[in-house]
Amino acid sequence: MFYFWAVAEAAVESGFTLEFPYKRSLGPVVGAFLGGLYERRIVGVRTAEGRVICPPFEYDPDTGDATGELVDLPETGTVHEWAWVSRPLRKHPLDRPFAWALVQIDGADTRMLHAVDAGDRGRIARGVRVKVRWADETRGHITDIACFEPVG
Amino acid sequence: MSDQTQTDTGLPGKFMQQMVSLDYRVLASPLQQRFDAGMRAGRITGHKCPVCSRVYVPPKGYCPLDTVATTEEHEVDVGDEGIVTSFTVLTPIQYRGQRERQPYALASLLLDGASSTVGQQRIAGPIEDVRTGMRVRAAWKPEAERTAEVSAMAQWGIGKAIEHWEPTGDPDAARDHYAEHIL
Repeated sequence: MFYFWAVAEAAVESGFTLEFPYKRSLGPVVGAFLGGLYERRIVGVRTAEGRVICPPFEYDPDTGDATGELVDLPETGTVHEWAWVSRPLRKHPLDRPFAWALVQIDGADTRMLHAVDAGDRGRIARGVRVKVRWADETRGHITDIACFEPVG
Repeated sequence: MSDQTQTDTGLPGKFMQQMVSLDYRVLASPLQQRFDAGMRAGRITGHKCPVCSRVYVPPKGYCPLDTVATTEEHEVDVGDEGIVTSFTVLTPIQYRGQRERQPYALASLLLDGASSTVGQQRIAGPIEDVRTGMRVRAAWKPEAERTAEVSAMAQWGIGKAIEHWEPTGDPDAARDHYAEHIL
């Protein structure tokens, strides 16, 4: 869909927003992950080789084999790679400077991309311990994790 | 990110709804600004090619057949009446943001004095009466309402200074007059 959002008085600049509303079926594994978020739980999945993938896939990205049992994981983890966003955009999850980071949930062998509300660039680094800050209202979406926040 | 979640439904873990939302900013070219100023004043303008005399509405700033540039000195007014050269009837489905409720007709129009058609023009009146060759006349918005969104559609048409087009009741144009403009 498609609507106009602003027009300058001088009619020199105009704008519009083009929107695509998607509805996706999730399947048994991603559905379990997002359904878990709805209940404020972090869910991963175990591969045949015993590794734990979080966020979970229906397949092991290393071997292509189907993954196995779902496992509950804690809401804490460790920051690995990160990038500082000094000027957040309208669609970013936070309206103040934050870090995009790959967070490895405790007990998982893979990393999750999410925002870290570090407040100051000096508080984000590889190895920083973080925990989930849940959204006030969950709805089965990755944004149920409002962001991660440093602990300790 | 509220855009992405506001349409979520009550089936967490089964479906996920996501709004991909793309914001565009468009700057009107000097050519478009001048055309828009004309539309706000109730004038529809085109450029007349100095070689072939074709009149392009809205102006392109060049004649694609003769590959010559055209400027303000080639500007001509065309009529705010014309004929329907082709049309389509749209039956709106209801989605978030949809403003239309009833089927309506959009037409390409060959304006009097123009050599090219303008598209996406709304035709008033019963849609079963719309036909190729029908003569229509512009229903201009009040002048005070022509300022806000005039240029917004300029890239794809002639803007929003005209509310819609009304049948004049005159006899239909002869088929030969518009045959080359049938899409």
